[in-house]
Amino acid sequence: MSKLKETIICLTAGRVTLPYPAAAKPVPEGFRGRPIFDARKCIGCAGCANNCPAREILIYDVSQEIRVLEYLGRRCTYCGRCADVCPEKAITMSAEFEAATNAIGDNRQRIEIFMSTCQRCGRCFTEPSALEKLKMKGYRFDDPENDRWVFRSRAFLEKDKVVDDIEIELD
Amino acid sequence: MIARERLDQLKAKFGPAILRADLPAENRLFVVVEPSAVKVVCQYVFRDLDARYVITIGADDRPYSGKFLVAHDFAFDRDHVLCSILVYLPAASPRIDSISEVVPAASWAEREMRDLVGIEPVGHRYMKRLVLPDGWPEGLHPLRKDVSWNHVPESFDDTREFTFEEPPEGCTVVPFGPFHPTLDEPAHFRMYVEGEMVRGCEYRGFMAHRGIEKLAESVLGYNDIPMLAERICGICGCVHSVAYAQAVEDAAPLKPPPRAEYIRTIMLELERLHSHLLWTGLACHILGFDTLFMQSFRIREPIMWIAEKITGNRKTYALVVVGGVRRDITPELKNELRQVLDRLEAEWRPVVDAVSKDKNIQKRTSGVGVADLTAVKNVALLGPVARAAGADIDCRRDHPYAAYGRVEFDVITERGGDVWSRVLVRLREVFESIRIIRQCLEKMEPGPIQLQIQDELPAGRMGLSSVEAPRGESHHFVITGENNRPRRWRVRAPTYQNLQAVPAMIKDQQIADMTISLGSIDPCFSCTDRLETIDLRSGAVKVWSQQELLKVTRAKKD
Amino acid sequence: MKLHLMWAIAGVALNVGLVLLVAPLFQGILRKITARIQSRQGPPIRQPYFDLLKLLGKEDIESGQTPSMQRFAAYLALAAVLTATCLVPMGFGAPLNGAGDGILLIYLLTLCGICTLLAGLAAGSTYSLVGISREMMSMIVLEPLFAIAVVVGAMHAQSFRLNTVLHGSVYSTGGFPWSGLLMLGVMLLSFQAFVQRVPFDISEAETELMEGPLLEYSGPKLALFKYAFMAKLIVYSALFVALFVPWGSGLAFPLGWLLFWVKVSVLVLLVTVVAATHARYRIDQAIRFFAGLLAVALVALVLASYGH
Repeated sequence: MSKLKETIICLTAGRVTLPYPAAAKPVPEGFRGRPIFDARKCIGCAGCANNCPAREILIYDVSQEIRVLEYLGRRCTYCGRCADVCPEKAITMSAEFEAATNAIGDNRQRIEIFMSTCQRCGRCFTEPSALEKLKMKGYRFDDPENDRWVFRSRAFLEKDKVVDDIEIELD
Repeated sequence: MIARERLDQLKAKFGPAILRADLPAENRLFVVVEPSAVKVVCQYVFRDLDARYVITIGADDRPYSGKFLVAHDFAFDRDHVLCSILVYLPAASPRIDSISEVVPAASWAEREMRDLVGIEPVGHRYMKRLVLPDGWPEGLHPLRKDVSWNHVPESFDDTREFTFEEPPEGCTVVPFGPFHPTLDEPAHFRMYVEGEMVRGCEYRGFMAHRGIEKLAESVLGYNDIPMLAERICGICGCVHSVAYAQAVEDAAPLKPPPRAEYIRTIMLELERLHSHLLWTGLACHILGFDTLFMQSFRIREPIMWIAEKITGNRKTYALVVVGGVRRDITPELKNELRQVLDRLEAEWRPVVDAVSKDKNIQKRTSGVGVADLTAVKNVALLGPVARAAGADIDCRRDHPYAAYGRVEFDVITERGGDVWSRVLVRLREVFESIRIIRQCLEKMEPGPIQLQIQDELPAGRMGLSSVEAPRGESHHFVITGENNRPRRWRVRAPTYQNLQAVPAMIKDQQIADMTISLGSIDPCFSCTDRLETIDLRSGAVKVWSQQELLKVTRAKKD
Repeated sequence: MKLHLMWAIAGVALNVGLVLLVAPLFQGILRKITARIQSRQGPPIRQPYFDLLKLLGKEDIESGQTPSMQRFAAYLALAAVLTATCLVPMGFGAPLNGAGDGILLIYLLTLCGICTLLAGLAAGSTYSLVGISREMMSMIVLEPLFAIAVVVGAMHAQSFRLNTVLHGSVYSTGGFPWSGLLMLGVMLLSFQAFVQRVPFDISEAETELMEGPLLEYSGPKLALFKYAFMAKLIVYSALFVALFVPWGSGLAFPLGWLLFWVKVSVLVLLVTVVAATHARYRIDQAIRFFAGLLAVALVALVLASYGH
């Protein structure tokens, strides 16, 4: 008898599964999907990078004026702390959750932000490393010949061997 | 104050062996004892004072005090006190008497302590590798402070294997796992089988060891860790993040605002609901009853939807921070939650009726996988497994946390101690959870949901927290540190203790009952294993070269 | 003689082809109905065809201790079931009517079970050996049930010839067919075990034994076994219908033929519903159940020998 009751429970429920992916799966408001970075609003404060638990947001300066923000999207936990902390609301947690891909670079988002120099002295920052000094010498980051000199982090991203222990002759 | 009474009892009995004591709150007791006296003290606490064994923790405290630290955590459930017996060991020779003879439940924790921190428990009867892979070189203990989190050992012996015991007379070996359709996670139970009856069993696990504790100590800050903690387990995410936050709040000390506590309670109970419904489905699937499996999942689905609406994700809520929660529950969501609960209750009652009267299921589960009260005490079993044997323990009532002190609920116990009793306990706990959530929704007052923490939290403080996960008590131990990062974080999930009872449970039972016995403790191997491996077994070295990136982003902060 | 032979060959081809064509269809319907009971979408009805094609297209890997025996077991399983289809009337007379009698039929069907045993033995892994020990235990109590049904029919019809036995012969007593009804009850209760469905699919219990005897099978060999199981469902249903639900089979073609398939579909539906609403029994519980049924069947046999 209990079997009959069980069967009736089952049949009255109807079909509850969706024929996904033939039919789309709707997401509710407030869903934490893939974060989208808006280049027009970003001011390069690096709050998101500092607060990312997975350390997936990189911020680096390619020159005095240009700062690059790169969201790698590999280990992103979709926690939304970056969106919470952004002062300009430049990051939105979208409704996209179908982010699986074979190519690791597909989820990458890269923003180049033009940073102004200090109003009073023009250039107030001391260069912390020899590499920075090199850049001050007018060396251009988009020069493909010298690509391998740029950023250990960038070389890592391009899966090149990390370049270290290079003697840089400066005058 | 009961904690002080217990301290007085200890002082009276052991006098000079008690070096120092700390009572930071009414329900916390930290006692530092002489290394030579640790075994008798633990025996006294466990047997004479009838405390419940929680966990043993090993920590490398050398950068701060120059010594190694061992903490044996016990719980006085009737007195609502969590106590920790601490021993400081000299850095040159970290050896301590093993307490596993007097407290059998400490067996795994001491093996882990030896594997990961290198503290040798003298007199342990089953000193084999627990956590580290067999080829890992001797003498390299990952949780020591001088080993970096991304250290790759130079020599890894691929050929070395775990030495199992010899099978008893007349038994063949039936391996269960690491790949098996029933298990979602890898574990190896080596069963010694005579015909269809199991005569003995040996366990080798920790294949999903991920390095979480090391990461938390090395590269993460206080508020990064909840995101990691909720990924320890595929079901009890909220439990671990709340337990961690509470341990830090216990240490600091901080008190989150009441509304945050109510929200935490609601999410914890929602998690219990969906975990028990999932377990019911899984148990039926193990028994070959797929229809009830599908129906449990259908009834469970609205809980996942409402959790998604409240927190943004079905399971990884990312809700908890130290000092509060990140998202609030709006009045519309409150109403929706109420409707979901009403509907759930209406649909679940007929299922409970149908299952309780189903002779088919009962025949498969009665008398199977028995764990009685002696096992509960000795192996420190927890959660529905213990309650099904008649032990009246529940952290929500015994060590009230979040808003549990302000709501009323019953603790469901049964007497059988077998799989059927566990089924009944879990089925009925669903209704208690619904009751708790309804009370919370009524009692919640508007207010802030997060503490504004201005200063750095003080370093060197210890915090304990026990949270009742769906599977039992989840216990976290935190030692706060500099720069808003912890010095040590130990997670003890309930399955850690419950798994130790499995060999005894399946002895002299049939092979067919093995899976349902294992399933009845609701095993969560990822909770048990907890750490991220640098997978050397397959040769794939997955090294997180975060250090450069970390430096870059951290440098920008200055 | 030649014409007779040609008719026989045509009949064989028709029966075998029909079963091969229709068996996956029934399996698909079975899965769809199960899904409906479980409140989900379920695979399309043509899914078993896709599954078989996929498996046949895979690489034929040699695993297990004795691969040649494994292959032999797979071929033999399908061959045995298909030969049995030639002996069973499916809406019209069985094509190989004169070639064998009821005893041959019993042996052929047992042979299919033995193929599973061979498969497990050839694989030689622990789980497959446990699986075949279970299968052996259940076969010992199960196969006699079917044999007794056929023998009861033969006793009443006074002959072992297939076209007489498989024509509702269990009811052809003078008075009230006690033995026939008893056998009907017994067969209904044990039918799930013959077609290897819950609650009696113990030897292939996925969650406990990882497919048991078929553990080391993959690719084309697995496809053959799966096909054999699908066809077994049809054959056993047809046998059940022929033995116990013969009314209306005398109608002219195509009505009689259609009625036959309707009856088979009803039986398959019953199998599905029972499978979807029950948990799997443990081997000792199942054996006790079958032993009880065996006792009842023996009583029926005794009654039949006395003409009831």
